[in-house]
Amino acid sequence: MKKIEIQDVLYKVEKPARYLGNELNSIHKEVDGKMIRYAFCFPDIYEVGMSHLGMQILYHLLNTLDGVSCERVFAPAVDMEEEMKKNNIPLFALESREPIENFDFVGFTLQYELSYTNILNMLNLANIPIYSKDRDENNPIVIFGGPCAYNPEPIADFADIIILGEAEEVQIEVLDLYKKYKEKNYSKSNFLKEAAKITGVYVPSFYEVKYSNDGTIASFQPRIDEIPTKIKKRIIQDLNETYYPDKMIVPYLNVVHDRVALEIFRGCTRGCRFCQAGMIYRPVRERSVETLSNLAEGLLTSTGYEEISLASLSTSDYSNLHDFVKHLIDKYSEDRVGISLPSLRLDNFSLELIKEIQKVRKTGLTFAPEAGSQRLRDVINKGLTEEDLTEATKKAFESGWSSVKLYFMLGLPTESEEDLIGIKDLAYKVVDLYYETPKEQRGKGLNVTVSTSTFVPKAFTPFQWEPQITLEEIEDKQQLLKKQLNRKNITYSYHDAETSFLEAVFARGDRKLSKVLELAIEEGCKFDGWNEHFNFQKWKEIFEKVGMNPEFYVNRKREYEEILPWDHIDVGVTKKFLIKENEKAKTAKLTEDCRINCSGCGMNQGFIGGIC
Amino acid sequence: MYRIRSKFYKKDDMIFISHLDLVRLFERAFRRARIPIAYTQGFNPHPIMAFATALGIGISSEGEYIDIEVTEKIELKEFMDRLNNVLPKGLEVINSQYISKDQDSLMAIIQFSSYAVKIILTEKIDLEELKDKLNSFLDLKEIIEIKEKKKKKSYKKSYKNQVQEINIRDHIKHINIVKKEDNQVLLDMLLATGSSGNLKPETVVKKLQEKMELPIELDKTRVHRIELFKEIEPHFLTPLDIATLYR
Repeated sequence: MKKIEIQDVLYKVEKPARYLGNELNSIHKEVDGKMIRYAFCFPDIYEVGMSHLGMQILYHLLNTLDGVSCERVFAPAVDMEEEMKKNNIPLFALESREPIENFDFVGFTLQYELSYTNILNMLNLANIPIYSKDRDENNPIVIFGGPCAYNPEPIADFADIIILGEAEEVQIEVLDLYKKYKEKNYSKSNFLKEAAKITGVYVPSFYEVKYSNDGTIASFQPRIDEIPTKIKKRIIQDLNETYYPDKMIVPYLNVVHDRVALEIFRGCTRGCRFCQAGMIYRPVRERSVETLSNLAEGLLTSTGYEEISLASLSTSDYSNLHDFVKHLIDKYSEDRVGISLPSLRLDNFSLELIKEIQKVRKTGLTFAPEAGSQRLRDVINKGLTEEDLTEATKKAFESGWSSVKLYFMLGLPTESEEDLIGIKDLAYKVVDLYYETPKEQRGKGLNVTVSTSTFVPKAFTPFQWEPQITLEEIEDKQQLLKKQLNRKNITYSYHDAETSFLEAVFARGDRKLSKVLELAIEEGCKFDGWNEHFNFQKWKEIFEKVGMNPEFYVNRKREYEEILPWDHIDVGVTKKFLIKENEKAKTAKLTEDCRINCSGCGMNQGFIGGIC
Repeated sequence: MYRIRSKFYKKDDMIFISHLDLVRLFERAFRRARIPIAYTQGFNPHPIMAFATALGIGISSEGEYIDIEVTEKIELKEFMDRLNNVLPKGLEVINSQYISKDQDSLMAIIQFSSYAVKIILTEKIDLEELKDKLNSFLDLKEIIEIKEKKKKKSYKKSYKNQVQEINIRDHIKHINIVKKEDNQVLLDMLLATGSSGNLKPETVVKKLQEKMELPIELDKTRVHRIELFKEIEPHFLTPLDIATLYR
């Protein structure tokens, strides 16, 4: 394979450092004919992709394997794509600068639905046929994985293999199997048949979907024997035993998350009813302080980063957070290494801890009440009271903060105008709390940012049957809040309604959507998550052209009896549990944190023995 | 507290990283090299370091400078070794010296940069004609470049950018033709750099094309910085010369 000369192009594009591929801790393996080459693709630009922890883990993991070389690929920015087309440069892997069309595997991580067009566009740029059925032995095996893979149906026709759940083990099993086949007479279909038997591997082409006249699914059946009817996700049993890199690639560019990311645990016990991550990543599994301390040391010394972020779905729920944070402060404050704790919950917001951290480096404060009224917070099982919020902000102001961000969702099931007024009331209360704080304690220049996004119902949540509110309703609610939040010191920002609508299409869509995506890339749709590229009018025309009604996926209330596009996937949490939770939501009944009281989600039957 | 002045080069792929990227890279490199660098006070502590001037993306250099402060004295050889050990290919410290605390900052010192500039001609021109054109270019009393001064983002005031006319002839010390091979010409330029005047070689090449109607393919111009200077007549001194002189 020959290396592509990109030097001349680099002079012409914005931020050429995106395409260099030789950052600190990147891995450049000597490649021979026997080497299995894996292109790990992130369907967005470099700065976004390099902020993704999962890629860093899998990249380093795959490169620990003898005979496997893993390289990175990102969506080229629009200017780079133009230059590549002009100069006949196919999509290449950063490290070797070789085209990925000749690789053994091309893997995409599915982080958000609006990146689907980028996946297809990247396959196009790589000269790889987008449909699985059009690819043969000479094309790479295309693998998808990541959170959106839990409802993979809208993109199922484009994948050869979809990996469900945590990939650390199953990805290696797939590669081992491939190695065996590659040594013999390789046939794609034989390999896929064998791969489909591995737990966590879903080969969409081996399953047939039939539809009823009303467009809902009539049946979903395997086409061949010996493969499961229901495909089970994979989990790692013990996080202390599993691989975690002691190095991270350090980008030249200032990427979105430009710091060491240390995953302290997986899963979440809170059971918020809108939250997909809280359901699909069950059960909770923690890393020990000892494991984390060793990892932190390795990561900080190998990167030189000035900040370490403790990653998880709900950082304050980590059992030994105080001990571990104290250890980090003791050991690294001399080097001015800051600690960031994203996803802190208000109810056990530990001010002392934050204060300690601030001595080294100051960070912003974000609170996520999600809903404006107590009733609605109970509907979504947020389990957070107004007192929690006011206590926390009061303390924060007393400790010198003056900038607070409040995050809410619009369009949650049962939401009424009263709930929206609740958002205003909360924001005003926060402003009042600031002025009630003695001048010598509080910081200068109050700034309260209220930010709303639109609720998108997701698969495997108790709200998976609920409709998203209509575009008109979204815009009305946003305007109402805009009027209500008209006060000095309060900034209101909201998410574009149309992108949330499209996200909702793909979040709960089925295989019929593949022809929508196919047409979308022909029409030049890409970077749909980026406001400056998103063209909703075009999308509407595309749906019309293929004769499909997006409202069918977005605004329709589904019955419990309906076969959902993702019903053939087993994430451990049972449908029975989800129904029970949805019913409890209707009467605003809370479900306890499952560390306190097992809520019977089903995770401990079949995935782990006994209790979580 | 001790101050160290270092000269380094920036070449190969490293020419494609921006000045801000370079600042971050050095910060992290100092930490990885376990150099006892001093930090600023305050909520967002930063290592105390200062560069001479920003180098544009795509430009290589063998004459870049950085001053840093360390909390304890460290052998210069060891300092350079440790740092070079962790710097990526394309970045290397080539000389370091301790300087006294009261010396002017790099930014305050520098006045001129010397460059090697490669230009590509799209039509045949012989060397004599080229020399003539260059001389008449340098004979011009005024070469006006219109510069838009970007205002800081403001939501209340107008967005209009201020326009400034600069006579760049004042910022050109000399331009020589080093050699010419076919359509490829190598120029040597000494141009103003720093707070009292700043001229990029690319601007000079653009003006050469405009004023002298030279068939230059602007896209293919390649720039290499050789050295930074302060003029103390009759001499041109580098930041390290000055460090030695005023030790």
